[in-house]
This record gives sequence, structure tokens and C-alpha cells, in this order.
Amino acid sequence: MFDENYLKKIKERKQEWDKKFENTKERDIKFITDSGIPIKNLYTPLDVKSNYLENLGFPGNTPYTRGVYPNMYRGRLWTMRLFSGHGTPEETNKRWKFLYSHGETGFSAAVDALTFNGIDPTNPDGDAEVGTSGVPLYCIDSMFALTEGLPIDKVSVALIVEPFTSAPVCAMYYNMAKMRGLDIKKLMGTTQNDILTMTVGYVPYKNVNPYHILRLACDLIEWCVPQKNVPRWHPINFTGYNYREGGIDAIQELGFVFASACSHIDNLIDRGWKVDDFVNRLAFHLSAHKDFFEEIAKYRAARRIWYKLIKDRYEAKNPRSMEFRFHVQTAGSSLTAQSPNVNIVRTTIQALEAALGGVQSLHTNSYDEAICLPSEEAVLLALRTQQVIQDETRVPNTIDPLAGSYFIEWLTDELEERVWSYMDKIEKVGNIAKALDTGWLYKEMRDAFTRRQNRIEKGEEIVLGVNKFSVPYDQTTTVFRTNKDAVKIEQERIINLRKRRDNAKLETLFDKLRKVCENEENVMPIMMEITKEGATVGEICDIYREVWGIWEPPIAI
Amino acid sequence: MSKPGIDGHWRGGVVVSRGLRDAGMEVIFGGFQNVEQIVESAISEDVDVIGLSMHSGAHLTYTERVINLLKEKGVKDHFLILVGGVIPVKDFLVLKEMGVANVYGPGTVVRDIVKFIVENIKK
Repeated sequence: MFDENYLKKIKERKQEWDKKFENTKERDIKFITDSGIPIKNLYTPLDVKSNYLENLGFPGNTPYTRGVYPNMYRGRLWTMRLFSGHGTPEETNKRWKFLYSHGETGFSAAVDALTFNGIDPTNPDGDAEVGTSGVPLYCIDSMFALTEGLPIDKVSVALIVEPFTSAPVCAMYYNMAKMRGLDIKKLMGTTQNDILTMTVGYVPYKNVNPYHILRLACDLIEWCVPQKNVPRWHPINFTGYNYREGGIDAIQELGFVFASACSHIDNLIDRGWKVDDFVNRLAFHLSAHKDFFEEIAKYRAARRIWYKLIKDRYEAKNPRSMEFRFHVQTAGSSLTAQSPNVNIVRTTIQALEAALGGVQSLHTNSYDEAICLPSEEAVLLALRTQQVIQDETRVPNTIDPLAGSYFIEWLTDELEERVWSYMDKIEKVGNIAKALDTGWLYKEMRDAFTRRQNRIEKGEEIVLGVNKFSVPYDQTTTVFRTNKDAVKIEQERIINLRKRRDNAKLETLFDKLRKVCENEENVMPIMMEITKEGATVGEICDIYREVWGIWEPPIAI
Repeated sequence: MSKPGIDGHWRGGVVVSRGLRDAGMEVIFGGFQNVEQIVESAISEDVDVIGLSMHSGAHLTYTERVINLLKEKGVKDHFLILVGGVIPVKDFLVLKEMGVANVYGPGTVVRDIVKFIVENIKK
């Protein structure tokens, strides 16, 4: 990027400078990034390998390092989307209205463990957890209650469910939208639909094996996008965030999501589609973790890797196919239950990483999230954190403002290189379903858990309030409690539904679903029929279990 | 070490299990278990400690169910019961009143759990 003669001069001067200060004392710590990349004391033009036009280019142009849109935040600010859900769909609706009235610009449904695992509230396996960690959404009635009075034709909605339940939950949502008179061809939103979230991010409870999970994820992509039923929907959001929370580093986070994305693309190509038919609607969800510069470089590297992957490996023709669009969540695992107010500061800094990294949509954590689901007061402060950055700091005034920083450009290149080699390592094991089924990814996660815990226990990773300036865990924060009656309310909802619906007709449809599963056909068409008639997520998932069997994840301790 | 219920946040349970094993203890990692399975396996494996790891917000309900069943079978006092997870400090006392020996919230250091077990083991 610089004139060679001039670089020579810089090199000479740099050597003089190095010599002059070689005996300067440094603090006794390891100067490394969170993912272990050694960091020099100073970066200069000598460290920048990238050529401007080839490696950086212009926003909205290949290789997209500087952003996927030509106008970025000067055109439209990132969507403020707070992941939110608790108790019942009615209570969650109230919370969504509260956030919307305070300026939130996108909705995101956090579902409970039952909805994640395809368990109905009438099933004793999970009755104690109805609504405790998210909103229960297991039938079409829940969808009406969730979105009542909200402008879902104008504001996009993210449904955070994974492939085991994404087909029924999305079908319920699309049916509800149709019954509200909306054209689902215009409907905007996202389904997380991420195979790794409910396998290594969280351990699945009575789900099916990852080969079927991968197919189910691809069924939704296929039905929405190339088959053009909900063409403006993002049918998948590869969620590095969830496994990053477990302790893997930034390099592994990108390695996991890209290896996973390739497995889905390969599946859809095997079904006869061309990469340009669908790849533009694949989206990503990354973490904003503790290492400020490494996270910013990560987003920039991710855009360039995706561009190269889609262009070179899959030979896409349409430049829009190569755009890496992503949502970010600030790192929940960086928050502490000790001195929860400090979490406000942590979250603010992490939100700034996302803004400087060119994010499309952002969730900021509430300060009480190391203790309980967020209270109204805490969640409002989290929303205001984003609004301060958007409206008061002038950070969004120019595009990719850190580009050209010797350090940022060097770190972006370094991360890119390391992600490519980590991806190779995963792909040597096989596709993502195989990497799960053989237990390889579980071992990677387990090792990451231990590594991070050891670092914290040894004090190599500082956590204020925990291993430095530690304070007792006796928070004064008000603890938000979810509705104790949720289980009763939800059980009644399901009993009423079962009385109302045409159970004989449903039995025939259930048989049809069994056939579809046995033949491994796309489940979405039958799912649209069956959920409209009032089938529940638990009933549908029981058919998956019956036909395909339950998978025991190869967890290693 | 058990995870009562269906919530799959597994990091805590695994990290603590490994830490206890590294400290020389034998750990049976039960993963997801319902209340009956927890009690049955604790009795049949003749364990000293029952660890319940929960991040679902349902820790009070599950712990109460486990303890009630242990009492019903008359074996409550055979075990040291430990609970860990994302648990508000206000619930520590409630859990202890139920009969839990100790509770471990976010930010716990594994060696503290090891120390507590060594000092309080019942057999």
C-alpha cells in the first residue's frame, strides 16, 4: 500500500527506534489477543501487507472488507434488536411494545427451553421450565398473542429457534401472518435455524441426529428462498455467538460458522440449486467480546473471507451473493454477577466494537443478565446504550473509520489467515454434521471451557469483581422473576386448542408428515398445513423422534 | 453431576466435573436426568455428593423435587447436595433451607468446591 523507497526509510528509522528503546521496561503480562495472537508494541506501514484495491476496496464493492453497503450508516443505521422473551406470549408482547415505544427497530423472540427442544408444556419433562428462560411458542395461538398490535409488516422479526423446531415454529408464524392479511412474500425477518447452537452451544434434549438436523435447516432455506415462498426472509443465521459464549476464541468462532455455512451450501447444491439462487439470504450472528480491536478486525476479516469463499470455492456470479451480513450480540459471558453495574460499561464498549465493525443489527445485554432475565429498567438501559452511540457520539458519520490503522489492517490479515487454517482443520473431519456426530466439535468446546476457566482461575484473564478487586456475590440488584403461573396458562392454552381443532383431520396430516419424514422430503409444505390446523411443536417433534430416533450427543468431559 | 430438566447450558456442569476429576475425585456425569433418575443413580452408584447444575431459572422447583424424593426414600442424609448455576443470591438461603449444603453462583472458582467437598463429606 506504500511506496517501496519510502518503506525502506521507515524501516531504517524503525530499527533506530527499536534500538534506542530496546531496554525499556514492559509490564509483566502476555501481550496477546484473546485468541492468543502475539501483539507487537507498535505497528507501522511496514506491517501492512494488504493492497488497497485488492484487499480493502470500497464499501458495497468487493471484497467488502469495508462494509457491504455503499452508504452504510449514512443511509440507514443498524437495527436495534433486543433478544427478548419471558413468561407467556402475552407478557413478551408487552415487553416488545415497551421496547418499540422506546425506539427499538427490530424484534427478536427468545424462546424457552421447551420450544427449543420440541416439548409441549403438558409434558412433565419440562413443566418447571415453561417461560423461565424465554417465551413458550408451541402453537399458532401463541404467535397471534406474541405479535398482537405490533407492525410486523414494517418491523422485522427474528425467531430464535434452531433446526429441530424451526420448520413448525416458522410455519406457525407464516400462517399467522397470512391470517392477519399479510403477504408472506414481503415478510421480513430471520430464523436462527443454526445447527451448532442446539448441539454444542447448548446440549439438545431428545433431539434427532445432526444429519437430519442439517437437512431440516436446509428445508427451511430451500422453501423460503430458492422456492420463493418467503423470499425476503433470512432463513438461517449462523450463530457463532452461542458457542463463542462457551469459551472458544474469535478464530474458532469464524471457523465454526464458515464450515457450517459450507455444509449447508453443499446440501442445497446437491438438491439442484445454484449458489446464486439462495446464498444472498444466508446471514450471520457473531459475538462482540472483550478484546476490542480483535473483534473489530474479526468483522472485517469475516467479510473478506466470505467474499473469497463464495466467489472462489462456489464460483458465484452475482456480487450480492458474496455480501456478509451479520447481527451482533455483546458477550453475555463477559458479564459478572458481582457488581452488576460494571456490566453497563462492558456492554457499552462491546457495542462500540460492533458499530466500528459495520454491523447490520445489534443486541446489547442488560446489566442484570448474569443473575436473571432482564428487568424492564435494565433492558431500557441496554437499548439506550445503542441509542447513545447512534445519536450522540457521531460514530456512524463515516464508513469503516478504523480502516488504514496499521494495527487494524495487520490484525485483520492475521485473523483471516488463521481462520482459513482452522476451517481446514474442521473440514478434514468432514461436514458439520459429521464433526458433531464424531464428537470432534464437542471436544473443541470442552477444551475451550477448560482453557478459559483456567485462565480466569490463574488470573491470566482479568475479570473485575471476580479475580481482581473481587467483591462478594451479594447483588443489590432487583431480581426479575418470570411469571409463576406461566405453566398453568400455557397448559390451558393447549387444552383449549386441542378441544377446538379437528383432531381427526390432524391425525391424517400427522400420517402425511410421517411419510414426508420417512422419504426425507422437504417438511415445509406439510408443516404449513399441519400448523394451520393447530398441531403443536411437541406433537410434530414427537413424529421426528418416532421416525428418526433420538440422538445422544457424544459429550466429552 | 446432573442437569435436571431440559435446559442445555452445559459449560458449568462440564467445567466443574473436570475440575473435581482433576482434583482426584471420581465424577459420574449424568447429563440430563429427571428427578427419579437423579435419585436412583445416586443410590445405585453410592455417591457421596449430588451436584445439580441449572441455568434455567427453575432451580428452586427442581431442587425441591429432588430433595423431596430423597426424603421420601429416607436417604436424604446420605448425600451432600450441591447446587450451581445462574442463581440469584437471594435464592441461596431458600436452597439451604431446603437442605442444600452449598450453592455456587457465577464466578465460582472450582477449587472452592473441591475444598468444601473434602471438608464436608459425610462418609
